[in-house]
Amino acid sequence: MTTAPVLSLIHVLALGDPLFSNGVHWAELLIVLIKVVVAFAALMVSVMLMIWFERKVISDMQARIGPNRAGPWGLLQTLADGTKLFFKEDLMPDQADRFVFKLAPYLSLLPAFLAFTIVPVGGVVTVASHTFELQVADPPVGILFLLAMSSVSVYGVMLAGWSSGSKYPLLGSVRASAQMISYEAALGMSVVTVVLIAGTLSTRGIINAQSHTFFTSWNLIRTGVVPFVLFMIAITAELQRPPFDLAEADSELVGGFHTEYASIRFAMFFLAEFMNTITMSAVIVTLFLGGPDGPTAHLPVLSWLIPIGWFLGKTVVFLFVYVWLRAALPRLRYDQLMDLGWKILIPLSLGWVLLVAAVLVGGWWGAGIFLGMALGFGLLVRAVVVGKERDSDTGSLSADLPAPRALPGSDPGRAGRFDPSSPRTSGL
Amino acid sequence: MDQYLPILVLLVLGILFAALSFVASSLLAPRKRPTTAKLAPYECGIVPDREPPQRFPVRFYLVAMIFIIFDIEIVFLYPWAVIFRSLRTFGLIEVIVFAVIVFVSFLYLVSNGALDWGPAKSLRPALSDGPRTTQSTIARVGPDAGPPTGRAA
Repeated sequence: MTTAPVLSLIHVLALGDPLFSNGVHWAELLIVLIKVVVAFAALMVSVMLMIWFERKVISDMQARIGPNRAGPWGLLQTLADGTKLFFKEDLMPDQADRFVFKLAPYLSLLPAFLAFTIVPVGGVVTVASHTFELQVADPPVGILFLLAMSSVSVYGVMLAGWSSGSKYPLLGSVRASAQMISYEAALGMSVVTVVLIAGTLSTRGIINAQSHTFFTSWNLIRTGVVPFVLFMIAITAELQRPPFDLAEADSELVGGFHTEYASIRFAMFFLAEFMNTITMSAVIVTLFLGGPDGPTAHLPVLSWLIPIGWFLGKTVVFLFVYVWLRAALPRLRYDQLMDLGWKILIPLSLGWVLLVAAVLVGGWWGAGIFLGMALGFGLLVRAVVVGKERDSDTGSLSADLPAPRALPGSDPGRAGRFDPSSPRTSGL
Repeated sequence: MDQYLPILVLLVLGILFAALSFVASSLLAPRKRPTTAKLAPYECGIVPDREPPQRFPVRFYLVAMIFIIFDIEIVFLYPWAVIFRSLRTFGLIEVIVFAVIVFVSFLYLVSNGALDWGPAKSLRPALSDGPRTTQSTIARVGPDAGPPTGRAA
């Protein structure tokens, strides 16, 4: 009677996973290890290639040559840069909070690693009577796990800026955290439409629900394109990619939240940023474009490679789109960014969730919700107008600015400007 | 439930990778003592003369609070979306009621200007309605200055 708890306790201690109550076969452990190591290596290599790809594509778009020294076509440039950073002096500013300053790169990097685990990269493979999915992990709460990881990575950015004890990183991190939480709401609600269609939170379940016919059964079509566009915009803002890279606006904030970071700590932030870009492109493909779904041929060998090819092809398209956006679009102003997030994306995504749900119940419900959305849009426009009027009535920002000082004998409205005959300037 | 083990293993691998990188960096990097100027907060070469600000515009705080409302809504929407096919009309009506309540409070916030980040363009009213002449655009100073024209203070 007492052996079972003891055994399970041994498993808990040996594996660190309390959910293994029945023990685990060594072959499964081996599969897990192989999956994780392959995923880790693939992520590192793809980050390397992605940085090269971005630099090369942008330089082509700007009629430059770009990296072309290290390796063929400059392919090893990223590796050279990374190696160089190992040899650089590791600085910690005087004013920094030492513990948090060291912790922040981990908080940035680890969610980037973990978020990739839920992405299905291929179909199901059987090797030596062991069947497994080509996906690092398929937890039943996959989508929630993804959202959780994207929330945790906000902490990395926020704490990095706060702990530096410096002006620009602090401004950058405050901007970044406000931006990320603003777009997280739209992000979450656009994914809800996918969950409505699929009826599950598992990413494997979501791609299975899209795999009936090519293209028309993808969530891109079945959710009505709008959630895809919303998700694409929200994820670009969440990743701090241009045109939403206000946290790293180099013309205003030097380097943003990682201004004070040097050496390998800086490399960690860079690595996390590009890893997140790759993961989120893969997530878009999973959620809206059927993941590895696509026409396959039944070859005698290696037919499991075809879905992987589809997955990689679709992901590369989105990686190119990110680079393209960076080369083509100027950065938004902060108020434009906030207005886009709060006054367009969030109401639209909320309305679209209701619309998709209503169409699933019945056509008349859908028509009713559509009318309701039109009404809501009118109310929102009115609310924005009222908000602007109220702002201009009270001048809410003007309270923050010092009132123009009236000088004796001069036009009170002109005081504070340069005036060669005023007593303040002429006396100097 | 064996799907959480790979995540755990990858977490360990990630921590190991980061930690080993830091160790390698500390072994390979030059170990000279940085100067005081190097350790000072970076401000483009200017010596910082004040602490980084402790106080921030209250709008950032407002955004965080409003976000919590929507985050709670999303938390409720996920379980609802998973079992929506068995809830059907009941689930739809219930979530409409919920969404309308959230949307009305959102309208209230927007109409209060809580989410306005724009520059206050109304800070200085435009020039007076009359024609733009030397009398209305140039401020006269000195003993013969008339009453202020144009801009109201």
